[in-house]
Amino acid sequence: MSDVFAETPAQPVKPTIFFDGVSSRRRQVTLTLGDALEIAEDGATPVRWTYADIRRADGPPGTLRLAATSAPPLARLEIRDAALAAEVAARCTRLDEHRTTRSGVAKIVGWSVAAAVSIVCVVLFGVPLAADRLAPLVPKPVERRIGDAAEVQMKTIFGRSVCEDPAGKAAFAKLVNRLRDAAGLDDTMTAGVLPTSVPNAFALPGGKVFVLKGLLDKAESPDELAGILAHELGHLKHHDNMRGLIYNGGTSFLIGLLFGDITGSSAVIFASRSLVEASYSREAETGADTFAIEIMHALGRSPKPAAQLMFRITGKEGGSGLSNILASHPLTEDRLARMTTEDRPASGPPLLSDKEWQALKGICGSGKV
Amino acid sequence: MNDMQWTPIGSEPLPPPLPATRVDFSGSRSEFRKTVTKGAMLELVTFGFYRFWLVTDIRRHLWTHTAIDGDAAEYTGRAKELLVGFLFALAILVPIYLAYFLIGIEFERWQGFASTPLFIAFYAFGQFAIFRARRYRLTRTVWRGVRFWMDGSGWAYAFRAMLWGLLVFLTLGLALPWRTAALERYKMRHTHYGDLRGDFEADGWTFFKRGWWLWLLSPIALFIFPLAPFFYAEFKAREWRWWLDGIRIGGVSLSSNLPHDAFYGLYWKVIGWWMLLTVAFAAYMGGSALLVVALTGVPAEEIFAGDNATKSIPMVVMMVTGYFALALAINIVMRVYLQRDLWAKVLETVEVHNIWAAADVRGSGQLAGALGEGFADGLDVAGF
Repeated sequence: MSDVFAETPAQPVKPTIFFDGVSSRRRQVTLTLGDALEIAEDGATPVRWTYADIRRADGPPGTLRLAATSAPPLARLEIRDAALAAEVAARCTRLDEHRTTRSGVAKIVGWSVAAAVSIVCVVLFGVPLAADRLAPLVPKPVERRIGDAAEVQMKTIFGRSVCEDPAGKAAFAKLVNRLRDAAGLDDTMTAGVLPTSVPNAFALPGGKVFVLKGLLDKAESPDELAGILAHELGHLKHHDNMRGLIYNGGTSFLIGLLFGDITGSSAVIFASRSLVEASYSREAETGADTFAIEIMHALGRSPKPAAQLMFRITGKEGGSGLSNILASHPLTEDRLARMTTEDRPASGPPLLSDKEWQALKGICGSGKV
Repeated sequence: MNDMQWTPIGSEPLPPPLPATRVDFSGSRSEFRKTVTKGAMLELVTFGFYRFWLVTDIRRHLWTHTAIDGDAAEYTGRAKELLVGFLFALAILVPIYLAYFLIGIEFERWQGFASTPLFIAFYAFGQFAIFRARRYRLTRTVWRGVRFWMDGSGWAYAFRAMLWGLLVFLTLGLALPWRTAALERYKMRHTHYGDLRGDFEADGWTFFKRGWWLWLLSPIALFIFPLAPFFYAEFKAREWRWWLDGIRIGGVSLSSNLPHDAFYGLYWKVIGWWMLLTVAFAAYMGGSALLVVALTGVPAEEIFAGDNATKSIPMVVMMVTGYFALALAINIVMRVYLQRDLWAKVLETVEVHNIWAAADVRGSGQLAGALGEGFADGLDVAGF
């Protein structure tokens, strides 16, 4: 006994167990509380733990489990006697230093809120800005590659072949070229009609515009179709596809980052993404409408027929709950109202003659699709 | 007397077999509930970042209250490690996603939707993540001052998982027991406790014999929906028992007498809570719509018509709040029943044999990084 005056507590009722962190042997020990904690097993040299080195480890209820920074990392002392545990704990001044405290939790909350706020700000302001600036800088070949991929996909959905009736094609080319020249796009852009009864039209990256035959069937005059085509050219002019791609990729990644899965599958992510992206897409659609109005005016034709065609296809859209906030396009009735205010009597020549228009309507042949 | 030579070994005088050791779980249910409730709320406030701390707290609770042969285990993992692992995983996954996108475009140019099989690559990555996450958890599991650890390769595991997965797909699920057995064997043979090596002795055939009729009956559950939880509970209970029976670590072996109907109550309680919460959510939505109408005087038609966004803002706020509360409550229910209660239920049936074989094991093995946990988090996969 080196420390004669050390207080030796009365033998505890419940055993004190020591694991030395090297072997899993369970050692029953007695403790001596001197200027350091002395852990002694019968017939072995005692282990000394300095009180300042002792830390609390996770233990089951009713057991004080201790570790020491100076001992092997997994060495554990388990005191099961409550009185002895209290006595030892009272001497270890830095027992709970390493544990997450209330202020630690506050720190986590504070930093995550800061991170969330900055992510939200980037989603709302940074990503749209980046998309607007970067989209025009994407090299043409890259854009065309993405467009090619999308074209293959579209053709898988809407039928393999483009409508090829020669007279119809000539009329379509004439219409597209007039619009293209007015829009100031170069001649790398291409356009085609796909034989499907879905009434729609879309623009793909790399200057590709497709009109689906269903739309052609519903159209009653060249101006109606021209307005829609001008709208799609607006998307090309504004690089809306690339902007959307950068924007969607950016937001889904960032929102996924916020909620912790990068693939972005859970409901919260889906909901917030659709909300944010829909508003961005509505903006792009409105921009394309503005462009269409300008082009039609430049050609001396009214933009109103195009909106009438849209209205004929979709009907009145508003009034159905949240779908408006989530809608990717402005409501058709709103677009119709806007185009109506821009309605002007025709000052330019018709875009196509009656004969050409009839040829265009028959571009996919007479057979029903 | 010569006959005596042929006496089976079993009849020779053996030392009386030592009684099997039990595993005790002493965790208090209300304490666990408090932890997950507080954690779920903090998760909400921190936009999910608190999940690293919550997961760590849950594991610490479950581990420390689990005692084998009178000595409780300990979980030494820390939330910061998980956070760092997640950030590392992010740094690796982001370029992979980008590459996936670019390769996808090239495939699509060649043929529409040809890039769909690329998803398989992500499945393989998920399997890799499962293996590495298990390694992280094991190296943070300490019992009697010695840690568990793992060697083996995550990619070798993912490769096996993929091949077996293909076989399961081709046999419409019939090969599942053999897949589970093969993968468990790989994992357990690379699992160590100190200098003891693990093994897995259950075979696919045993599992198949215990569950084949569930495979046959499962199409019925597609038509009679309330049967599905029963089938699933039967399957899980059989799988757990079979799995536990197969586990060996050095000379130590486990066995379990988990009854086949052990999980009926658990799953139905979760479903009950889920329905209750959904009804409460629906009632809340209806109530809040009425409240908004009553307070603002705006007719319901206009609240739901989006042409004036400012009018629908109170409703959107109410909806979002309600949705979060619902997600939070479901989260708590799932953790209490499917983690804590399931853990306790399984452990009370476990017996440990030959525990003396682990009485003096030398510690070894290094700590593994939390990158695997990060991948699993980023890819949204789970498994053990």
